[in-house]
Amino acid sequence: MDARFTALLQPFLKHAGPGETALTPDTDLRTLGVDSMQAIELLFAVEDTFGISLPDEELNDTTFATAGSLWNVIAAQLPEGTGDGPAGQETA
Amino acid sequence: MPDPRYAPLDALPRTAPGAQVWAALGGAGLTAGAYRDRQPGTGIDPAGLADLLTAVDARFSVPATLSVSVQLATALPLLATGRAPAARQALEGALTGRATLALAATDVTAGTDLTALRTELRIEDDALEVTGEKNWIANTTTATHFLVLARHRPGRHFTHFTWVLVPAGARGVTVRPADSALFADSGAGHVTFDGVRLGRDQVLGRVGFGLPLFARHIGTERLAGAQWGVALCRRVLADTHRRLTGRPHGDGTLWDLDTVRQRFATCLLRVRELHALSGELADPVALHHDATAAATLKAAAGATVRHVLADCAQLWGAAGFTTGGIQELRAQAALFGIGGGADEVVLGTLADAAEDLLAALERPGTLP
Repeated sequence: MDARFTALLQPFLKHAGPGETALTPDTDLRTLGVDSMQAIELLFAVEDTFGISLPDEELNDTTFATAGSLWNVIAAQLPEGTGDGPAGQETA
Repeated sequence: MPDPRYAPLDALPRTAPGAQVWAALGGAGLTAGAYRDRQPGTGIDPAGLADLLTAVDARFSVPATLSVSVQLATALPLLATGRAPAARQALEGALTGRATLALAATDVTAGTDLTALRTELRIEDDALEVTGEKNWIANTTTATHFLVLARHRPGRHFTHFTWVLVPAGARGVTVRPADSALFADSGAGHVTFDGVRLGRDQVLGRVGFGLPLFARHIGTERLAGAQWGVALCRRVLADTHRRLTGRPHGDGTLWDLDTVRQRFATCLLRVRELHALSGELADPVALHHDATAAATLKAAAGATVRHVLADCAQLWGAAGFTTGGIQELRAQAALFGIGGGADEVVLGTLADAAEDLLAALERPGTLP
């Protein structure tokens, strides 16, 4: 997950406590406050920030389940070499 | 001095239904004035939208204005997301008043539970099929096109919904008027889609973008509600003021009574608050799709219209019960707390944003 993505995601995680600033690929978005309205705003923010359109077939609950699943779909749309690759062990 | 641009509206009877008013607006080239650069795809022009709503409200009934408002604020901008020829033609027709649009979001399920909607969209390789029912939709009985929010997958996730453009004349579309004397002139009704077959290019926007588009465009409807609320309250207060200053009481008029003046002044205060809020939040809604700002406007409009209409109705006394009088208007104006996001929905949105809203009220550096 690259720094742009984690910076974009952080404000949406309303339920993250002060000590929970580290995002991991397993971070559960809904648990940390990304409800439907927040997820809609997140979708627009992702597409605006990265200049991409998420594929229709990837618009589903699995994509928006965790930080890693969302990042993987984003990364697949980025020109090669512009992202940090698939979500792995890195944190931000 | 009356603006001659609105002469085509003045030519209509005050009882003109929404569809007739809509046709006149488009025919006179006024509709496009609600949009930046006169293009619905570029978004709402708040001042242009307020002008049109105020002009319509001043001349016609609440249901007629509802018919216009929902098309101006939401249906046309949403339709503009369609790139296919059918959508472009429908948009051109709507702008010129030859086509009437019904925004069919509310399903047979509760309007406050949108993700429970049951209307289904089956997407095939080169065709669509729509099956379901939409209830209490403005412009249903007069629509040439329905903008239908349907689900293409089961479940409540926000990506499971898609907008589709359905011609009213398509096979399988059945319309019936709602049982409502109060809102008949808005074309209010129920519509059933029974296996309606359409071309694949009737999708508006993108598959899975039904709720994101709804969230963006319902915001402008909420702004429109606040602008219309100001116009409605202003004219009701003006009518009431004339009534009070001309109605003898004791050695003077009703307007000389302190209790009446204070009650009226409180209404003035409420509408000035709504007016100020509309001005402050218009750009955040129109330019930045600020959902919290939109909910704030809608919540304020519902509360203000309810207060002003109730108090003015009281001040009219028995005369308020005249056919077509303020008590009837008050019943119709209850719409402001229900349509386009009920009070409970928009207040819930505000509650969700409580921390951000409180933080925005802070004066930096002043707190201990």
